[in-house]
Amino acid sequence: MILTGQEITKKVNEGSITIAPFYEDSVNPNSYNYHLSPELLVIEKSLDSRRETKYKKIVIPEEGFVLEPHKLYLGLTKEIIGSTKYVTSLIGRSSIGRLGLFLQITADLGQLGNSHKWTLEMHVVKRLKVYPNMRIGQVSFWVPFGENDYEYIDLYNSSNNPIVSKLYKEFKG
Amino acid sequence: MILTGHEIEKQVNNGSIVIEPFDLSNLQPNSYDFHLGKYIKVYTNKILDPKKKNPVKEIEIPNEGLLLKPDELYLGMIEEKMGSKYYVPILRGRSSTGRLGLFVHITADLIDIGSINNWTLMLHSVVPVKVYAGMKIGQVTFWVPKGKIELYNGEYQGSLKPMESQSFKDYQD
Repeated sequence: MILTGQEITKKVNEGSITIAPFYEDSVNPNSYNYHLSPELLVIEKSLDSRRETKYKKIVIPEEGFVLEPHKLYLGLTKEIIGSTKYVTSLIGRSSIGRLGLFLQITADLGQLGNSHKWTLEMHVVKRLKVYPNMRIGQVSFWVPFGENDYEYIDLYNSSNNPIVSKLYKEFKG
Repeated sequence: MILTGHEIEKQVNNGSIVIEPFDLSNLQPNSYDFHLGKYIKVYTNKILDPKKKNPVKEIEIPNEGLLLKPDELYLGMIEEKMGSKYYVPILRGRSSTGRLGLFVHITADLIDIGSINNWTLMLHSVVPVKVYAGMKIGQVTFWVPKGKIELYNGEYQGSLKPMESQSFKDYQD
């Protein structure tokens, strides 16, 4: 089951969902609109799964920053988001999808666990300007089925910065 | 919980789900296949800006098909009017169109409860691919919500053609 907007608000107020800061006007009928943090990683052109990603860190200026096609950027949600009771799914908004901006690259499913700012896998079809703190995507919350007593060892959830892939650590030797 | 095909049919028959026109031959074990409408919109500006109204041109898909080029974004529309006041729709491509490298949305698969429209598709292809009006292009699933329902009443309600991003309205007072 997916939580309605009113249910998300209720759970945020009760503390079983974290969305901080939380703005009532960002609640949708069945999701919550998250915003874009100014920190952005511009990823190097060619990647190797076995090596640590090289990138350039920039701060998106108030007047905006143009994302270029054929490039990968790692952004960050402005909000700390998470829940140990409901499964998060982060996606884009239809208004931004209509401008050709991917916010995730087929990895929209979050894990039950700690709350943190989420890294966004940003990629554009056409050149697109983005602004700091713009309303950029949406997160939905889902009721899980089954025992929920494990500790998810999250490679990424300890930091509130955009974090590059740690896949290279899975390769031995 | 996701509705099975039989349940989708039941809810269409009792009016809780709108799919117009509805044809049993499009019903899948747990989704419904929708078709591509004949209108397409393409942005004409080189750089898109979410704070501005981005101009578009409208194209009618000719009988011989329209060749979608990579590096371009095409706003299409679903031929069927769809939605529900009781279930949350999620749309996606079909495995058969995905195998052609065609995206039908750009990380915005979640539809608001109460959005009953000819939803806009965000068409983008990895390799050049020809599409035809009326072709079966994607599928919609329906999910059970939890919590009090507040219906969608946003800027895309009532759209009968592909609708370009209204994100500039985020910046109007």
